[in-house]
Amino acid sequence: MTMHMISANHATAAAAALAARANRSGRGFCSGVYPITPQTECIERLCAEQIPKGSVVRVESEHSAMAVCMGGALSGARTFTASSSNGLAYMAENVFAAGFYRLPIVMMAVNRTLGPPWNIWVDHGDTLMLRDSGWIQFYCEDNQEVHDTTLLAFRLAEDEEVLLPVMVCQDAFVLSHTMTMTDIPDQEAVDRFLPELRLPHRLTDTPRVVGGLDFPHQTEVHRKQHLDAMGRVPGVYARIQDEFERCFGRRPPDPVVPYRMEDADLVLVSMGTTASTVRTAVDEARARGVKAGALRLRMFRPLPERAIREHLAGRKRVAILDRDSCPGLGGIVWGELRGLAAPGAVVQNYLIGLGGGDIRPEHVRGVLDDLASRDESGEPHFMEAGA
Amino acid sequence: MNLEIRLHGRGGQGGVTCAKILAALYVTLGKSVQTFGDYAGERSGAPVRAYTRVDDRPITNRNKVYRPDHLLVLDPTLLGDETVSGLAPGGLLLINTPDPPEAFRHRFGRFRIATIDATSIARKQGIGTRSVVIVNTTIAGAYARVVGLPREALDRAYASIHLERDLPAARAAFDAVSVGDSPAGQPAEAAVPPPDQSVYVLPLTRHAASAPTGLKTGAWRTQVPQYVEHLAPCNAWCPAGNDVVGFLQTLLHEGEEAAARVLSETQPLASVCGRVCPAPCMEGCSRRQYDGTVNIRELERWVGDHATVSRRAERAPGRVRRIAVVGSGPAGLAASYEIARHGHEATIFEAEQALGGVLRTGIPAYRLPRDVLEREIDGILDLGVEARCGVVLDAPGVASLSRKYDAVILATGLASLTALEVPGASLEGIEQGIRFLHDVNLADRPSLHGHVVVIGGGNTAIDCARSARRRGAERVTIAYRRTEQEMPAIREEIEEAQHEGVEFQLLRQPVAFHGNGRVAAVELAEVTLGDPDETGRRRPIVSERTSRLACDHVLLAAGQSADRRLLRLGDTIAEGRIHRHGSAPNLFVAGDFATGEGTVAHAIGDGRRAAGRALAALGEPATIFVRPNRAEAVPISGIHFDRFPLRPAAVGDRLPAAERVRSFAETNRGLPDAREAERCFSCGHCTQCDTCLVYCPEGIIDRTATGYAVDLNFCKGCGICVAECPRDAMEMTTS
Repeated sequence: MTMHMISANHATAAAAALAARANRSGRGFCSGVYPITPQTECIERLCAEQIPKGSVVRVESEHSAMAVCMGGALSGARTFTASSSNGLAYMAENVFAAGFYRLPIVMMAVNRTLGPPWNIWVDHGDTLMLRDSGWIQFYCEDNQEVHDTTLLAFRLAEDEEVLLPVMVCQDAFVLSHTMTMTDIPDQEAVDRFLPELRLPHRLTDTPRVVGGLDFPHQTEVHRKQHLDAMGRVPGVYARIQDEFERCFGRRPPDPVVPYRMEDADLVLVSMGTTASTVRTAVDEARARGVKAGALRLRMFRPLPERAIREHLAGRKRVAILDRDSCPGLGGIVWGELRGLAAPGAVVQNYLIGLGGGDIRPEHVRGVLDDLASRDESGEPHFMEAGA
Repeated sequence: MNLEIRLHGRGGQGGVTCAKILAALYVTLGKSVQTFGDYAGERSGAPVRAYTRVDDRPITNRNKVYRPDHLLVLDPTLLGDETVSGLAPGGLLLINTPDPPEAFRHRFGRFRIATIDATSIARKQGIGTRSVVIVNTTIAGAYARVVGLPREALDRAYASIHLERDLPAARAAFDAVSVGDSPAGQPAEAAVPPPDQSVYVLPLTRHAASAPTGLKTGAWRTQVPQYVEHLAPCNAWCPAGNDVVGFLQTLLHEGEEAAARVLSETQPLASVCGRVCPAPCMEGCSRRQYDGTVNIRELERWVGDHATVSRRAERAPGRVRRIAVVGSGPAGLAASYEIARHGHEATIFEAEQALGGVLRTGIPAYRLPRDVLEREIDGILDLGVEARCGVVLDAPGVASLSRKYDAVILATGLASLTALEVPGASLEGIEQGIRFLHDVNLADRPSLHGHVVVIGGGNTAIDCARSARRRGAERVTIAYRRTEQEMPAIREEIEEAQHEGVEFQLLRQPVAFHGNGRVAAVELAEVTLGDPDETGRRRPIVSERTSRLACDHVLLAAGQSADRRLLRLGDTIAEGRIHRHGSAPNLFVAGDFATGEGTVAHAIGDGRRAAGRALAALGEPATIFVRPNRAEAVPISGIHFDRFPLRPAAVGDRLPAAERVRSFAETNRGLPDAREAERCFSCGHCTQCDTCLVYCPEGIIDRTATGYAVDLNFCKGCGICVAECPRDAMEMTTS
């Protein structure tokens, strides 16, 4: 293991390359890539990596990038790609296809505001658009977590009980382009952690149709299998956390990460790097005698419903901070979580940091002040943090 | 330790990398770091920020830096209240500027100010692109010093992020940074204004103002592109001082009459030089490194032969000077031309019966037809130059001229011939090649026969050999003491001689001639080449091994020197002027007589120079021609070869060799047209090709009547136009 001062983009590429090499005794590696700001650095670095078995294919669009990954995965290769924002929108048809084919593809998604008008900064709306595509989704908080999650995503995706694609999400620029010291493991350790991929439905010498016509009942069967697979993810993930810790000496965070929740009355729920700022604000509030606590939602699909219910049990006031917007509803995360709070609790939605606005502790303090003053929840609250 | 650093720079200055270097510096101390930049606004020249955080504990703050402890300003034009916002009193303000810290004290006295001229250091160290200097790696060195980091931290940090190449600049900045006095006390306005945007929750979204239009992005600029003419290699190489690129481009766009006007500024003998000049310009030509040099010699011939421009000279407004020119070779003719063009009177004194000097007596007609020479000499005489032929002068004669004329220019060339000091050199049938050529050219010398051996490797040797072939010699052999590479003769002439059946005995030097009264054989010693001599050519070492070559005639073409009988004992030559007993009489020297450089082009340049010196010495307005410095010419890296399609050079049509040797008819019939000029890159000279206009990312370069105009309201100084210019006709300046 060695420390490197690198961006999360490069940390992702390093993880993908380690995973790629770890499958050298199997069917190798295959990646279709197409650049988009702020993901470009990642695939540039990946293209420069030495991968003895496999290839990184530079294609003409995101749609094709995912198609290459699907072909590669169906032939038994370990697969990876990366995209962002409108690139994901263009890729969407094949994102769903990869989900429904149950292909263990890992994709790094840099969360960037969907345009137009064009904006390259962080907003979670792009990957939340794909929440129903049948992919597992993680939202990361720092560079090391991005790297570690990418590594374990392969293990999770390829687990025979799961066989689902995984999206590892990171905030544009706040992570993708920010350099911090990151611990990159040795190949030998990764080789131990990531066994050779054995895809049960991979294409072999016998010709076979994949994804032909389903009649209604067959679709019902496929959907049920997909739901069940998602249901097995939390259990498998817990096992992988243990395994990861054994191999690398640090434990990846849980699907839901609590902070100072022991006696909290006011709970702030967020995803991605917003959670770092929220923790600072919680500390400040605690220092003022306010009983604040926080939850970070790290795994969004499958939604860790049970863990969330447990954490929110008995809490009177919950603020859901959405770095996204769903016109006609409010925040997407709020829409998903509002039913999981304790009966009668105030679950107030705050839309904050859209389009990359720099959410600062004073903004979060404003959220706490507003939440504390509420006896019932109201319309989603729109907040301005941008410069 | 808990440190926040903010950098202000402009897109392209490398602020993000600079912030990364600062982080790397603290990593060497074992600190946690975080570094990032502002993105999307980082267009070249736009104000951009970058940030570095340092802490003893893991860093979880994801915000931009609003209250920096250290502030670096990579471009001093960015300094303002908004830039320093949040910097606490006593905080470090490091500025890239040539000014000392005191210069900023009035405005920013509440901070600890340090300054470093990182731009100069980076420029000196060649950091950046051809068009834009990049200062990031330099200023980081100054930062290390100001915050008290050891020099070794720089070495380790730069190595850790693979920037070793920029370490010398960083070290230079480490040593050169100036730190001002620490601020005394807390000034009244010490309270730090709260950063803006420190709002809590706004009740309503403010209506977004429309994006600002008419943003004057020119304010982002640190450097500005300019159209600057740079010295073209052909011009730098031309010893006559001709505007080669100028006449080529004029020929291309305006035709031969206009091109002839350009040439006539410096060149009275375009048709002559277009035939016999060794063309150093073609050696310097950038296109030589690509698909072959532009055939400048034959294009000059095209202009000389096809233009009908008649030259006129106005009489000098004040006193008309009378200057005697002794000798009418290219130096004398050029000097006379220059004198006449300035409106003064030149009188030529020529020993032969006709003007032209070596052009007439030495160069055979198959290279330079007599009618061509006559026409150009007539053109010079048309300016009012007087000529007196058949006048043989000696030192008293020169003294007499110097009393009658305001000045005398001696341009008698290399009239003294080098004799060969070997046994048998006085046998009959051995003669000086120059005499032979003189007789062939002027006196219709009777035919030779048998085997003629020519000694030498210069143009005279080749001329002798080829003339001998035309005068009936059955076999001609050139014996030369070095190899073909070292031959001073024009390459094409050597090749044509070979085609005409001239044989070459290389690495051979005559050590004796044998014969009974008349030469019957030459004894040639084998030569090996040693170390290079002062001319750069390898020194010949004569061996003991010899062989005899039977022959009927021997022509010696082994060198000439100036005939100093025109001077007095003790005369010295300095700066083209004769010095006698500590004074400088009105005697000047020009051409081979003065320099021995031996080409028509050199002689023309020196003739003009001598005329300039004489007129200047007489107090007349005149410029003394100075040969351009080749080192200042556009380097080959300044030319974008990829913008020019491959196209081989055009060459003049040659008579077949078998036909050539039968007569003295001109062997080269010249180019069929002037399209060869299209191959000129126009190095360093704008051709209005529109590349700058097309590549400008802002679209703010417009055509004008004479060239282009850059709209400085919007030019961000990105340097793309300069980098893309195919011919190095632009540069970035800081003004």
